[in-house]
Amino acid sequence: MSVSMRVEPDLDFIKYLKSAGGDSVKKCYQCATCSVVCPLSADGKPFPRKEMIWAQWGLKDRLIADPDVLLCHQCGDCTANCPRGAKPGDVLGAIRAYAYTCYGFPQGLAKMCSSGKGLPMMILIPVVLIGVLFALANGGMHLPSVEEFKEVGFGHFFGHWDFFWLTKNVFFIDLIFVPAFLFAAFASFKGAKAMWDKMSESLGGNREFRPSVVQFVVEFLAPAVVETLQHKRFNQCGTNQNRVKGHLPLVLAFLALLFVTGYSFLSKDVVSLFVGEELRAYLHGPIPMANPVKLLANIGAIALIIGVGILWANRSQAEEEQGTTATFYDWFLIGEIMAVGITGLGAELIRLLGIPSLAYFLYFLHLVSIFMLFLYMPYTKFAHLVYRTVAMAFERYRQSAFVSPAVGGK
Amino acid sequence: MEKKYCAYICTGCGIGEAVDIAALSGVVSGEMKMECKTHAVLCGEVGKGFIQADIDAGVNTVVIGACSPRVMQDVFDFGADKITIRANLREQVAWSRPEDAKPDYTQELASDYMRMACTQAKKTELPEAYQLESVNKRVLVMGGGIAGLTAAREAAKAGYQVTLVEKAEALGGKALGWRKQFPSKAPWTDLEECSIDEMVKAVTSEGNVTVKTATEVARVAGAPGNFEVTFKAAGTKSEWDAPAKVGADEQDKITKGEMPDPNVGLKIYTEKNADAEKFGSVVLATGWTPADVSEYTHLSPASQNVVTNAQFEKLAKAGKVPAKVAFIQSPGGSENDRDFPYCNSVTSMVALKQAQYVRADNAEGKAYILYQHMRTPGQMELFYKSAQNNDGIFLTKATVTGVEEQGDGSLVVTAKDTLLNEDLTLAVDMVVLAAGLVPTTKDQPTVNLAYRQGPGFLDLDLFDGYADSHFICFPYETRRTGVYTCGGVRKAMTMEETVDDATGAALKAIQCIESADRGVSVHPRSGDNSFPEFFFQRCTQCKRCTEECPFGALDDDEKGTPLPNPTRCRRCGTCMGACPERIINFKNYNIDMIGSMIKAIDVPDDDEDKLRFAVLVCENDAYPAIDMAAMRRKGISNLVRFVPVRCLGSVNMVWIKDALSSGLDGVMLLGCRYGDDYQCHFVKGSEIANKRMDNIGETLKSLGLEPERVKVNQVAITDFDKVPQLVQDFVDEIVALGPNPFKGF
Repeated sequence: MSVSMRVEPDLDFIKYLKSAGGDSVKKCYQCATCSVVCPLSADGKPFPRKEMIWAQWGLKDRLIADPDVLLCHQCGDCTANCPRGAKPGDVLGAIRAYAYTCYGFPQGLAKMCSSGKGLPMMILIPVVLIGVLFALANGGMHLPSVEEFKEVGFGHFFGHWDFFWLTKNVFFIDLIFVPAFLFAAFASFKGAKAMWDKMSESLGGNREFRPSVVQFVVEFLAPAVVETLQHKRFNQCGTNQNRVKGHLPLVLAFLALLFVTGYSFLSKDVVSLFVGEELRAYLHGPIPMANPVKLLANIGAIALIIGVGILWANRSQAEEEQGTTATFYDWFLIGEIMAVGITGLGAELIRLLGIPSLAYFLYFLHLVSIFMLFLYMPYTKFAHLVYRTVAMAFERYRQSAFVSPAVGGK
Repeated sequence: MEKKYCAYICTGCGIGEAVDIAALSGVVSGEMKMECKTHAVLCGEVGKGFIQADIDAGVNTVVIGACSPRVMQDVFDFGADKITIRANLREQVAWSRPEDAKPDYTQELASDYMRMACTQAKKTELPEAYQLESVNKRVLVMGGGIAGLTAAREAAKAGYQVTLVEKAEALGGKALGWRKQFPSKAPWTDLEECSIDEMVKAVTSEGNVTVKTATEVARVAGAPGNFEVTFKAAGTKSEWDAPAKVGADEQDKITKGEMPDPNVGLKIYTEKNADAEKFGSVVLATGWTPADVSEYTHLSPASQNVVTNAQFEKLAKAGKVPAKVAFIQSPGGSENDRDFPYCNSVTSMVALKQAQYVRADNAEGKAYILYQHMRTPGQMELFYKSAQNNDGIFLTKATVTGVEEQGDGSLVVTAKDTLLNEDLTLAVDMVVLAAGLVPTTKDQPTVNLAYRQGPGFLDLDLFDGYADSHFICFPYETRRTGVYTCGGVRKAMTMEETVDDATGAALKAIQCIESADRGVSVHPRSGDNSFPEFFFQRCTQCKRCTEECPFGALDDDEKGTPLPNPTRCRRCGTCMGACPERIINFKNYNIDMIGSMIKAIDVPDDDEDKLRFAVLVCENDAYPAIDMAAMRRKGISNLVRFVPVRCLGSVNMVWIKDALSSGLDGVMLLGCRYGDDYQCHFVKGSEIANKRMDNIGETLKSLGLEPERVKVNQVAITDFDKVPQLVQDFVDEIVALGPNPFKGF
């Protein structure tokens, strides 16, 4: 490369990496053992060796525009084989955490979600929001009687009115979660777009042809999603191979619960409006246990807890045995998902036992944790859902005819 | 000593199977007229008792035909007043028989070795150690830096009186200017406060040490055990300053008025100063000076903010250093990846140290270290790791292409071939160049000897000006016996290394004093009590011995007659090899002895197949190599007879003439490698031998002999696998030439 790089290391970036799990970053002495063992490393692109020296030199702009950082699945081979204990896998994790914060929109929220210091506030926001709405909607802490609770479950959590077309509960649930979801989706899009632009920029050269939206989805995004679902890359991992055992059930559980939510919405809030009284009564209230969808929901919930439990155990073990650093970034997501699972399943069990007060409390926590999952998705480790998928799409783009001729056929 | 001889032949270890022992002992008792006994295991208790019984009965000179003289030396030691001569029948006869060896050839080989041993026994005498009238046991240490302080303290602690001379007003040397020093103990990660003050205090409070500051050594005359040292005030001139060497050519020019006499106003080197102080040995620890890096113009060395590491250390000691600093370890440029000269590993660690000053003095400090080689030996790897772990220290291998000064005095450094796989541009406040540590011996004699061969060490250009010591074979020796170097004059080294080095030098200095006291040699012939004796009546003042002595042991008077200094002598015999008059001899190693041994080789003059070769073998490396070849049962031509010599430098031309005139068909010399990676234990011996043999070629031609009949080869001790072939090639070459035409005359 003939163009000389003017280097101005960012000391704060290095400090951040060291605090976010990359405390070993400076130990790397460029032996390239990591690149030899890494399944992602390619000829002329010694990954993650070059990322390690960029990180040592505080070159954050290069790192956040580097799709490879996001393609890494932290299989742990590099960390396990590093002769100097530089733990490249952990450093890359810290870089990803930094990237999510960096691309996060709006920045204030993203920064708040970047460290344990923001955690009280992260919890306080949904607690206050949902708590206030609960109090307002219910006219002040109304708890159902045991009989009423048995009939409608959490259907009257936010109270009840007689407007036929939209129940009060659904109104409030939607009032909370639809904006949160839309906000998260918008923020994710903004972040992903910013990342895509940075990455494109880092490729250099002028590109005459750009893919259309359809081409983008068909050629790049869709295959990336399929690959993700197949967990192909995870299967190439060596050291942390058993993470597949946790991650795959988790992903499938999320899909199952998504389906259940969709079913629930359709059946209760749409279909029930157009059927007879008797069926409507059946559709309203908790889905009966015998319903196969309910079965799927329960299996999904259990799979979720087991999946995240395995990841939890793996991480604890890695910290103990490999010296992996415990970080807010990693543990927030594990704790968060575990909270969603436990509160959800707990609320259901307590409901079946018929203790409204405790059930309501757990349900409240369930709503809080789900809200957190939604709203903070673009800024926490959960953001990998978006960024990694986009990076995988970008990888396909980079190898496609749209880019390759411009960078000399590589 | 009235000699009473007896010869013994051992039949063990395969000797009995290889040769006809009865016939062999017949040669000894008949031809050599020496009583000869045989025994199955001479080295066993019974065998030794067998010899001891004869010694008790009055035998005082024994010839032992058994294993190599390199082994069983303690077994066949019958006391200092007895002579033991060994014939190597095991390694060089029994164990080195070629596969197709004919018995008569082997028998003749063994017979020749017994003839040579018997001849040697007859010609050798018991040496008597040379004793100085009085031996002074004080140690002079020149230089009061870390090396000198350590050497002085160690020698004093061992009970010797020490005088420590320092040119500056205060002791301490370069370390006085340091802000921090390298870690010296576990965990080897953090810089330490300088300990030089304690080191100085330890020396000044040591009762055995006399300190002379602001003082220099004008000249060191004399020899180990009796050095006569003249001091002077630092920076002044004295009539006792050591005179420069004026060779014959220069003297000629001076006489003709073509050049000025460099020694005007100086006492000649042989003149004795009655006021001189006496010392037993000298430790030279005069250290180093920072290298000049102004030649690297692409690094803008003239810019105000481009400094050397030595200057940067001063800035750091005085106050705060700038926040953005680039440390350039190698000049880079386009040509090569070499470091600045005289760096060794020291400047790598200095950069790691100074980078920490940048970090300590500035919250946002950034130190870039651009290196071609990062050398952090031993525990210093941990120091390197800890520096690397510092957030603001950035390391990369790089070829620096330039340093440019900006309008505001800041600098822009450009570099290529970096670990970042991209060319770099760095904007910095200051650039530090890793200037090396130039030994004080590079441009000055420094040790200031009043010796015939000049005031300084010799051939320093081979070693970039470092005081030569031959690191592998004899780390502390110099070519001036009794002068031991340590610290920066020997190599760019860290404080830790210097302390070790100076301790070693102090012990060598003590060892030398004690050897001089006992009248024996220092390394490599440690304990040898022989010394060269001169028959001055026949000296022609040719000055060859005084010129060629590798250790400058010989001074001379105005006429050129050598003035020997036996305590400077290492007993290599180079003077003996040089002398055309053959008047220099050792009691137990002399012209007559080796010459007679060569002539004792039986040369059949009626057999075209039985050619005879003498191979004069350096006993330090080549002889063991031949023994090792034999231990591996590598066949060696049985036409050659090996004659061990102390050093090829001791080989006198007359031995070659003796060999050829007595009908031997060829002579080969096997010695050590010479040149800048020399392995000669006496530094110059093999090189000198090679030159002499170049000259003998002409002589041979004039006699009608082919110059190919004499050959010199260089052999390392590890060349045991090559030696047999080397010998065979020589034999084959001469066989092709045909027998020596002088045979039978």
